[in-house]
Amino acid sequence: MDGHDQRNHQAGDGLSCPDCCLELQDYLDGTLEKKRSLSVFLHLRECESCRVDHDALRAVFAGLEALPALEAPADFDDKVLASVPYAAYQAMASLRRERVPVFLEEQFLPAWLRARATRLGGLLVTAAVAAVFIAGAGSGWLLAPGAAGLAPELLCRLQSAGRRLVGLSRAEG
Amino acid sequence: MFDRHQDLKTIRRCKRGEEAAFAEILARYRGPIYNLCYRMSRNPEDARDLAQEVFIKVFRLLDRFDEEYAFSSWLFRIASNHCIDHLRRNRMRFLSLDGVAGPDGEEFELQIPDEGPGPDTVLERREAVSRLEEVIADLPPHYKAITLLRHQQQLSYEEIAEVLQLPLGTVKARIHRARAQIQQMLADRSYDI
Repeated sequence: MDGHDQRNHQAGDGLSCPDCCLELQDYLDGTLEKKRSLSVFLHLRECESCRVDHDALRAVFAGLEALPALEAPADFDDKVLASVPYAAYQAMASLRRERVPVFLEEQFLPAWLRARATRLGGLLVTAAVAAVFIAGAGSGWLLAPGAAGLAPELLCRLQSAGRRLVGLSRAEG
Repeated sequence: MFDRHQDLKTIRRCKRGEEAAFAEILARYRGPIYNLCYRMSRNPEDARDLAQEVFIKVFRLLDRFDEEYAFSSWLFRIASNHCIDHLRRNRMRFLSLDGVAGPDGEEFELQIPDEGPGPDTVLERREAVSRLEEVIADLPPHYKAITLLRHQQQLSYEEIAEVLQLPLGTVKARIHRARAQIQQMLADRSYDI
């Protein structure tokens, strides 16, 4: 650390040695913003101690990226394809199709539009109901479709929150 | 790196019952998934079994694939989780057929693809790879997965966040910690790469 401290003020790039060390990974990753990257570059040019740290880390990066790619065994595909329950999958095709109403199938509506259209449609229904109420022309029975209109949006948000939670707990566990 | 649009078309063909479409998926991702499984398990036989199980699992879950995400992210997520679960189930060290005992009794592998006769530099390179593989093998499973996704599969931070369903900040922090740990372990063992 002494080497770092001695050089701290000599570099004259506004970057201290501890700050430089903190940025080294992003610098080597190429994810550092340009101005900061230039500061690190200038600091490294002047500071030998940081340059040693930089070179050691760069060797790790280079080593990781140079790990040789391995070939899967020659019979890999055959074994997987032999284990895949394709016949059962095909036999279940009609059941799978029945789960989705025909007008929602991909050939009628692309997937990205299907999801967004459902959510947007629901929100529009809710907005229309709210507008009628605000205008004072609505009656109680309109509340049900208004609330139901929020369901697709709420379900999507619950689903993504659930996904995040499951992802987090898996990763942390 | 992976063609999202092409994958989606192939998956839709697969769902329509074209057996050849799944073979295409297999051909496209066999290498990356096998390599991920190999680096995670560090055992060729386990890697083969794990990679095969991943593809069979993917096939069984095809109907649940959400087209809003990239297929490659979904596939790597299944593969990473499968390998992590496997490592957690088998906390013992994996022995290679050609593994030899190090001075501390731990096993490390010397089985490197033969690239023909070579000078000292080739031998040094192989030893460096072996040392790095040994260190990676000793990382905690989730650090190992994140390091391999970044450096072997060349996924961006954003893609890794999608694969592992973690916030971008968490991904960055974990990759930084994993690399720092690798560097520390190399230094502790006086390994030069």
